[in-house]
Amino acid sequence: MQLMVETRNLRKTYSRPDGSTIEAVKGVDLEIRQGEIFSLLGPNGAGKTTTISMISGLVTPTEGDATIGGFSITTQSMQAKRLMGFVPQEIALYPELSARQNLAFFGRMYGLGGKALSRRVYELLEFVDLADRQKDRIDTFSGGMKRRVNLAAGLLNSPPLIYMDEPTVGIDPQSRRRILDTVKLLRDEQGMTVLYTTHLMEEAEELSDRVGIMDHGEIIAMGTQAELTQQVGEEDRLEFTIGAQEIAEDLVERVQHQTAGVTRILSNPPEQISDDSSESTPARLIIFAKRGRTALPQIIQTLDAADVDIQSVAVREPDLEAVFLALTGRALRD
Amino acid sequence: MRSILTIILNDLKIFFAQRGNLVGLLVIPVLLTLVVGWSIGQIGGGGPTRLRVDLIDNDQTELSAILIEELRAANDALVLCPLDNDADDFCRLGEDPLQLDSAIERARSGRTSALIVIPAGYAAALEGFERINIDYYSLSDPLLPSPVLQSLNAVLQRAGSASITTGVAGALLDNLTAATDLPPLDKETRDGFLRSIYLRSQEMLTEQPPPVRFRVADADNEGEDGSSNGFNQSGPGMGSLYVMFTVLGGMAVLLRERRQWTLQRLMALPLSRAQILAAKIGVYFTLGMIQYFIVFAVGAAAGMDFGSDPPALLAVMAAFVLCITALTFALAPWIKSEGQARGLVLLLSLSLAPLGGAWWPLEIVPEFMRTLGHISPVAWAMNAFQDLIWFNGGFTDVLPEIGVLLAAAAVLFIFGIRSFKYE
Repeated sequence: MQLMVETRNLRKTYSRPDGSTIEAVKGVDLEIRQGEIFSLLGPNGAGKTTTISMISGLVTPTEGDATIGGFSITTQSMQAKRLMGFVPQEIALYPELSARQNLAFFGRMYGLGGKALSRRVYELLEFVDLADRQKDRIDTFSGGMKRRVNLAAGLLNSPPLIYMDEPTVGIDPQSRRRILDTVKLLRDEQGMTVLYTTHLMEEAEELSDRVGIMDHGEIIAMGTQAELTQQVGEEDRLEFTIGAQEIAEDLVERVQHQTAGVTRILSNPPEQISDDSSESTPARLIIFAKRGRTALPQIIQTLDAADVDIQSVAVREPDLEAVFLALTGRALRD
Repeated sequence: MRSILTIILNDLKIFFAQRGNLVGLLVIPVLLTLVVGWSIGQIGGGGPTRLRVDLIDNDQTELSAILIEELRAANDALVLCPLDNDADDFCRLGEDPLQLDSAIERARSGRTSALIVIPAGYAAALEGFERINIDYYSLSDPLLPSPVLQSLNAVLQRAGSASITTGVAGALLDNLTAATDLPPLDKETRDGFLRSIYLRSQEMLTEQPPPVRFRVADADNEGEDGSSNGFNQSGPGMGSLYVMFTVLGGMAVLLRERRQWTLQRLMALPLSRAQILAAKIGVYFTLGMIQYFIVFAVGAAAGMDFGSDPPALLAVMAAFVLCITALTFALAPWIKSEGQARGLVLLLSLSLAPLGGAWWPLEIVPEFMRTLGHISPVAWAMNAFQDLIWFNGGFTDVLPEIGVLLAAAAVLFIFGIRSFKYE
């Protein structure tokens, strides 16, 4: 399949005021195929936005390059930008203007005009189900409505490629569902290539044809979901939420040795919420086990015997969260 | 180019969609221009306190030098060009020597208040008690009092009186010599005696209280309402002040655009950074010019003069607005919050405007403040406006000021463009 986006050794280094430097992206190599939804999954601060900003021409790479439909973003940026739409994480709209005025302005910047522009603006307002609010100022819209106009603004030029940087941040479940469905529609009905960044495993799992997992500025794993979950084997993940108590080392060892199928255990101690607060997050015990449901009664019995206050238990089959956990030792939300 | 214009129009639409901006752009500047213009008019017009007068001395004698000294003493507002020109080239002569033709042209165009030509033979005529004409050129109505003409008349009256005294003394001397059968004096002794009589007469006449008092407000135009002259100061002054408020306010808007990511969205469009920057510069340049036009329209309605060279006036306006736009772009990258931007706008506008003579003419402040004032671009703009409005100057007269403003704009733009934050 033809490549739509290709990056080679994409690197971005920022200077701090004290003269030191921080490497936000450390040599990312990506290949995104035409017509697929590719998700960049990673916790906040992993470098997803910086990567997408470099690929969209907002940020100049310190090193490396990206090509969009064969055009270099650094040396042929005009041609490259014509092939893409951009939906940033922020609501990049003028709050003083109406939805229609915003879309009309950005449409004109793509060279649209006259009836073609009016038609395209109306189509998109219909597409995001806001045609009835087209004359209202953006600052009167709810968060979800703003996100939908933000998405529409990225589609004005009917691009073959669209970047979406965490487009569901801070919105209600209904609007989130609508946006996720829209993303799938763009691929399925319009054949669009989508580069989607998220820190939510569920979104990446639902949408993606392929996923790149990012952490500390690097792609640490890339492939289809099946390929990625194979990396952690067939293990289930048993997640125990425990009260504010430390789990003793010997208890962890006992669980591992006494229960058949348990391969390894991660223990996250309780953490104080803030310096000013006496409250703390509950401790978590994450146990990887083959045939997890079979091992569960024995594990609960052992913990019970040690007077561990079990608040909840969840059994998770291999997923992207498990992959991230396996690769980094941390949960995506940590 | 179309993209740049589209961005400019869009940003102007956003600017005018906020009612608070209309108060700052329209209501307050209009009110202040009227109040300040009327107030300055009542206290004397607010115009220049020095009058540019060209003087050509074709006689170059001791007596013509005395006449010039007398003119200076009669009215210290007169700046006799080129003799009394200062380091700032108040006479607007540049490097060229003053020639009769150019001096006549300067007087006819109003760039000087008058031209006085002392003819060759002036001293000989006075000593010989003969008639001689001093040529006087001016746009002022000879039937109305003019400070230059009044000063000249007073001085000539004294010279004439001294000459009459000398003539009478000469005749008396001749008659006495003839009546007493004394030997006639030799010519050198007689001339020396008569010159000492002339000089003593001049001295005695000079010691009299000065017959002329200088008033700027109605010196050239007795019938004009004094307050309209005040708008010649308040129009450019308040215009320049509010151009600073409006254009420097762009610092906060640029920051907001970066925060709300509309600037970054523009970057993701098929536009070059130069196009985006040109559009943003165009927005604030346009707003600055709109601000000047609003204030000048109020001034025009109130009777403000605009001189005789509208293109030169436009060029000064444009150069000043460009300079302030460049200052905005030079400062914007260092601003961390909108509150900080608002504070800086107030600080800069309220310090640079009075320092540069936007509230009162720089000529009424001490010399060191006048020199210091020229660190403010307002001073250069006000100098140019004064040349155009009060002295009927033309493009060439304000070229130095335009040059300084454009040079400052270029330096600030280089600095601002290099450090402009897109991300």
